[in-house]
Amino acid sequence: MADHPRRLKRSGLTMPIVTERFINNAWHRGCDYINMDLEDSVPPDLKDIARNLVRHSIPVVNKGGADAVCRINHDLMEADLNAVVWPGLMMVNYPKTEYAHEIRRMDEIITRLEAERGIRPGAIEIGANIETAVGVANACEIVSASSRIRDFGGASGYDMSRDLGVEMFVGFDQFVYGKGEVELTARALAVEPRATPFTPNITGSVSDPDRAFAEADAARKCGFRIGGGLHPNVVEPQNRGFMPTDDEVADAHWVLEQYRQLSHSSDTWLQTEDATGQSRIIDRYEAARAEELLQWRALCQERDHEKSEAIARVRAAEEST
Amino acid sequence: MSILVRRSNLIIPATQLRMIRWAWNRNADAVTIDLQDGIPDAGLETARETLRSAVAQVGKGGAEVFVRVNAAYVYADTAAAMCRSLRGIVLPGAESEQHIADAEAILTELERHNGVELGRTEIIPSIETASGVWHIREIITASPRIRQVCIDEAELAASLGIVQGDDPDPFVYARGRLCIEATAAGVQPVAVADPMGLGTENLSQDDLVQIATNVRNLGFKGMVCSHPVWVNPVNDAYTPTESLVDYYTQVREVFAQALAAGTAAAPFAGRMIDVPVDEWAKDVLAMSAACAVRDAEKQAALQKATVWLESGNPV
Repeated sequence: MADHPRRLKRSGLTMPIVTERFINNAWHRGCDYINMDLEDSVPPDLKDIARNLVRHSIPVVNKGGADAVCRINHDLMEADLNAVVWPGLMMVNYPKTEYAHEIRRMDEIITRLEAERGIRPGAIEIGANIETAVGVANACEIVSASSRIRDFGGASGYDMSRDLGVEMFVGFDQFVYGKGEVELTARALAVEPRATPFTPNITGSVSDPDRAFAEADAARKCGFRIGGGLHPNVVEPQNRGFMPTDDEVADAHWVLEQYRQLSHSSDTWLQTEDATGQSRIIDRYEAARAEELLQWRALCQERDHEKSEAIARVRAAEEST
Repeated sequence: MSILVRRSNLIIPATQLRMIRWAWNRNADAVTIDLQDGIPDAGLETARETLRSAVAQVGKGGAEVFVRVNAAYVYADTAAAMCRSLRGIVLPGAESEQHIADAEAILTELERHNGVELGRTEIIPSIETASGVWHIREIITASPRIRQVCIDEAELAASLGIVQGDDPDPFVYARGRLCIEATAAGVQPVAVADPMGLGTENLSQDDLVQIATNVRNLGFKGMVCSHPVWVNPVNDAYTPTESLVDYYTQVREVFAQALAAGTAAAPFAGRMIDVPVDEWAKDVLAMSAACAVRDAEKQAALQKATVWLESGNPV
């Protein structure tokens, strides 16, 4: 399958596809992706109606530059896929993934639908969400089941807490082992880990911007690059939290300059003071870290520019009409 | 499928006759008579001779009864314990599928020989080594007799060379792996109530309940109690509290109203209620009901045993 460009997923909003005002207003929230939900937020008697809304909602949600994502139902996979795989969709989220054969079946169906509907082969990603102990236990087989899985994670949240029989907001990380397993699996199989380090949340609030920033900032510093939430309040803090700060960028440039000078010598490392008087070791590992930080910052800026332009275009079109 | 309510499992040495005599009124969901820890080979023979009557004795208050056998004497210890009142054996040092297969064969033979329903006697593997942690999946799926698996942190610490102390926690990986693999296999993970030899002298009942609650919130479904002081706090920690039952009753009402209004996501008490929260609410309420049934069973057995005693009969 051909290489596909990396899509940033720092911030995302998950919303019921059947709530029209959420879908219609999501495009200008500034998120990297919008997750149209057919699953837990949609009542059983509205599932048929819901899946038929997706095709026409895709251009609505991505007109502000956000990527369109759809969370389907575990037990209605085939009917849902048939209704949601259309041009403009970036990813299908598959909840409660437990076995590799589920992913292989999804891959087959999506491959057929891409061919039938004029979508670039392999373009649509599969988000295999791990929400049960069985899913954690089978993580390696699941990720290996399809090259459409480009990020991988989970092993926390309400479904996981229910499966383990634990309360959600207990003041410590009751999911640490499962999260570690899926992160290691992702990294070992060269897909992007989707995880967050533990930050205490005993309120269960989904709209606290300060918490959202703290979580995104902590996640970035642990090497994670993917966020998401349920409330518009968390979008901007997530984008900000995942973006390296100006100080970090200046430091990365300084590290690379020191390393450039080091490369003219026969030494493999040097000890020096930075602008704050802090003693620092400069070596190839520090240089690689600085390089990655600058590349990530450039990707974030590029993505933010893409979204701003898209939003500006929509506003200009609206004003002209 | 009914919920297995085995919150507290009080373990008492087979040689401590006074503890054996009174274990029935400690309110434990299960009692394990221990043939392993601290019993010299010379004392084993004596302990085996009275084991069947001890099994009957400790179960008088409605507790399920287990015997922890010696890894080296699984046959002899189990043979001495096998009877209809025996719920199962605790198998120490389980490290492989073969350990379980060997125990399974012994149980089947002894059940047949003693007229006990085939397959009735459970095996609770006790995980005590790195090898046991690593092979946990094959161990717990090796027999349908396995409904619970226990991690013995004291033995694991000795095996790994861990020095006592709870900071940093050396068992994060082992406990996590046990809970995930056991849950995935439909087996209940069980912890120990006094990890790392934690003394209880300076702890209140509330402290004990909080410690046990934290362990429950790692995914464990019960705890082995090496002292009776742990039993009631453990029972309390693994029984949904009144406030939790009230909260989740309201969650169910709010969610039902939301569904009637055409949405499956609704705010409640600062949180978002959707399908998994409603499903969890159902689980909590079902667990509460199952605990109430189990407590009533024990209460009835306890009353019967008390009447027996008050009628002048021997303990």
